[in-house]
Amino acid sequence: MTYEIKEETGKDGRKVFRIGRDHLLELMKDLKDQGYDHLTLISSVDFRDRIELIYHLEKSSDNFSIIVVKTETKDTHIPSVTPLWESANWDEREQYDMMGVIFDGHPDLKRILLPEGWNGYPLRKDYDMSKVQFVNMDEEGNDYVSFDPGDGW
Amino acid sequence: MEYDEKSRYIELNMGPQHPSTHGVLRLRLTLDGETVKKVEPIIGYLHRNAEKICELDFYCDALIYFDRMDYVGAMNMEVGYLEAAEKLLNIEPPERVKWIRVIMAELNRIASHLVWAGAFGLDLGMLTPFFYVFEEREKILNLFTEICGSRQETNYMSIGGVYQDFNDKIIFRIREFLDEFPKKLEEVYNLFIKNDIFISRTKDIGILEPEIALSYGVTGPMLRASGIPYDVRKDEPYLVYDRVNFTVPISKKKDVLARFIVRFEEMRQSVKIVKQALDKLPDGPFFNPKAKKSLMIRLRGEGDVYARTESTKGEFGVYMVGDGSVKPYRVHVRSPAFKNLSVLPYLSKDVLIADMVAISGSIDLVFGEVDR
Repeated sequence: MTYEIKEETGKDGRKVFRIGRDHLLELMKDLKDQGYDHLTLISSVDFRDRIELIYHLEKSSDNFSIIVVKTETKDTHIPSVTPLWESANWDEREQYDMMGVIFDGHPDLKRILLPEGWNGYPLRKDYDMSKVQFVNMDEEGNDYVSFDPGDGW
Repeated sequence: MEYDEKSRYIELNMGPQHPSTHGVLRLRLTLDGETVKKVEPIIGYLHRNAEKICELDFYCDALIYFDRMDYVGAMNMEVGYLEAAEKLLNIEPPERVKWIRVIMAELNRIASHLVWAGAFGLDLGMLTPFFYVFEEREKILNLFTEICGSRQETNYMSIGGVYQDFNDKIIFRIREFLDEFPKKLEEVYNLFIKNDIFISRTKDIGILEPEIALSYGVTGPMLRASGIPYDVRKDEPYLVYDRVNFTVPISKKKDVLARFIVRFEEMRQSVKIVKQALDKLPDGPFFNPKAKKSLMIRLRGEGDVYARTESTKGEFGVYMVGDGSVKPYRVHVRSPAFKNLSVLPYLSKDVLIADMVAISGSIDLVFGEVDR
């Protein structure tokens, strides 16, 4: 192993690996080789100065026991794990949509729940909820987002 | 006859207002005649961002948004949220509450699978079973009305307890229902399984290999129909599932019919679980005094927890972060139907449109949960 991992135990008793962003892919590849073939979820937490990414992996040969991998980013860039697990595809799109994390190497990174063109990322702590956004249609029938309800085609 | 490439493929928009898309699923299909070449699911029409709303409320208030996620299996959603919240807030529910929660969750599982069976029949053009299953489901919802005061979005459980205790009359009525139900279930089951058209529409359609299923994050009856016996109730027992006796049905056939059979077998197991739970239901308080109503908004939690439960669709997980204040810092929901839907483009490559409808019906989509 060429990278350093900090091992700790979470509040719920699960094993947590903390790793720097640069070595995330190497660790994930090693974990997949060890039999962690089920990526349960990718979640992210906005701590204002940094965004923490949390991966929950399950091992199907060992009663689906969970291991947690945590990493963090300051400039919202993180390597994508979609080449390893297909399920990361939609998870990463959701995190991009909600938290604005940019996954480098993702095949098709676009919004999934909100329409294209939405302003801001709702789950960020500095997201302004007082500004109402309206989804209208443009001339070609695509979604068109603006702050003015009468805008659009 | 020669086609030029441009006119060969037709793009067709299916949904969001289509009878067989179970709510507001929109599919962008690329067709070659009747054969589906490419499917792109477009979701988000029911998106309310419950995760953000949870951050603005007290721990006890966030529960009602979970009711509205999977609205046909609301009890399982409540159990899922409370597993995480109670771990974070260090509150242990009393023994009686755990058994009551198991009873309610399993009754709701039966109701949810019944709705699925009815809607699945409608997808394939069978109208008759729909009325049979809704009659049975109505009986369960009537029980819920008596216990919690509402039918679907019950808001029955709360942190450290439940809203109202069971009395003898309720227990008697649940037993009465359980005595009659298995007979009716077989009747409905035979309506499907003895129908040749149903068999030919579902057999060997939508085959999902276990490795692909794991890679796409598929869980629940869909994964079990592919031959992998993953059930959170067995693999990481929560509440009192380690003290009841039941089996996890699996099938090696991997097709749409296998998913149907697995779901019906699950209902039979749920009946077994509820019967055992009613026998073992202990006496005691129905809420934890540490979380009584006047104290509930002062609960504080710190750290992060991930709790997974087996909802009606699969592994329902809640990841929760607390920063020591009275409101959660971050709530993230692992929605099983969202993950199961992501395998649809893979499954419906080079199948007929009618088969694609059968496949998307077999996933058991509830859009409150996919879009959250």
